[in-house]
Amino acid sequence: MAYSDKVIDHYENPRNVGTLDKSDPNVGTGLVGAPACGDVMRLQLKITDEGVIEDAKFKTFGCGSAIASSSLVTEWVKGKTVDQAMTISNKDVARELALPPVKIHCSVLAEDAIKAAIDDFKKKRQARQEQA
Amino acid sequence: MKCWNCETDTSGSPFCPTCGKIAERPAGTSHFAIFDLPLAYDVDVPALEKQFRELSLRLHPDRFAQAEAKERRLSLEQTTALNEAYKTLREPTRRAFYLLKMYGVDLEREDTGTQKDMPFEFLEEVLDLRESLEDAMAAKDLEQARKMATDVEARRKAALTEAVDMLRSLERSPSDEAAVKKASHALGRVRYFTRFLEQVEAFEEEALS
Ligand SMILES: [Zn+2]
Repeated sequence: MAYSDKVIDHYENPRNVGTLDKSDPNVGTGLVGAPACGDVMRLQLKITDEGVIEDAKFKTFGCGSAIASSSLVTEWVKGKTVDQAMTISNKDVARELALPPVKIHCSVLAEDAIKAAIDDFKKKRQARQEQA
Repeated sequence: MKCWNCETDTSGSPFCPTCGKIAERPAGTSHFAIFDLPLAYDVDVPALEKQFRELSLRLHPDRFAQAEAKERRLSLEQTTALNEAYKTLREPTRRAFYLLKMYGVDLEREDTGTQKDMPFEFLEEVLDLRESLEDAMAAKDLEQARKMATDVEARRKAALTEAVDMLRSLERSPSDEAAVKKASHALGRVRYFTRFLEQVEAFEEEALS
């Protein structure tokens, strides 16, 4: 199957591969998997107390489209507020990367990862506020 | 279902008992129903194979080359459905995934949200496993990769056994939601472990070529 140029670009030069400190209260970790294929994606966001995403890192074990999808969303979310990032949908990702229908689940994984990471951050923040 | 030719009730049989024409099947006929089997995990595979051979001979499109258009089309359709059903039911893992789908959990589904169903700790473990494998691959350490594969293969088998136990218990109490969930998690583990083993296999091929 032919990958689009954008997928190949992100696959060959993935942006923001790596890890952030999971125990940092300002870091939200999203970990999602696709039981349809058995691939996993971890997305971490460093979010300021004002709710702005200042850094993003990912690690994905999957096909080229899954890696490209996560690489792309790390670029997209940086500088966005949490609320703005929540509106990123898998359709935006699939359109930008020109993913074929059989690869839509890769973009779904990326959307799920953003939501899971933000969810994790919000839970951490709430736990902190309850302690204070 | 009534025969399209003579209106006899064909009641799930592949051919009309009266006129002998290929019978139509209602949409959504299960793989089990095609072989007239109950919705159950345990399948006598040699008997299934025998049934498959007989049926595929009787339904073979070559035999209907001179038949009317309707029956030619049915011969093609039923042959395709038969092949798909046989492929799914003869193989234990495929059969288990298919049965789970009959209980309402389709692990092939790719829409948003469904993926999050696996426990977080398990996904973390998968990520760790894949990272360790990546390290072994980078170091061209085939021994290490094989050692991990042996361990993962054992866990894959254990997960499949657990899923099968759950599927068997569901045959007795089909509305046990907790058992469906357990079967779904166990089969999810099977899928992730299988993916891992495929990666090791690819690495082995590459290393040995
Ligand atoms: Zn008839």
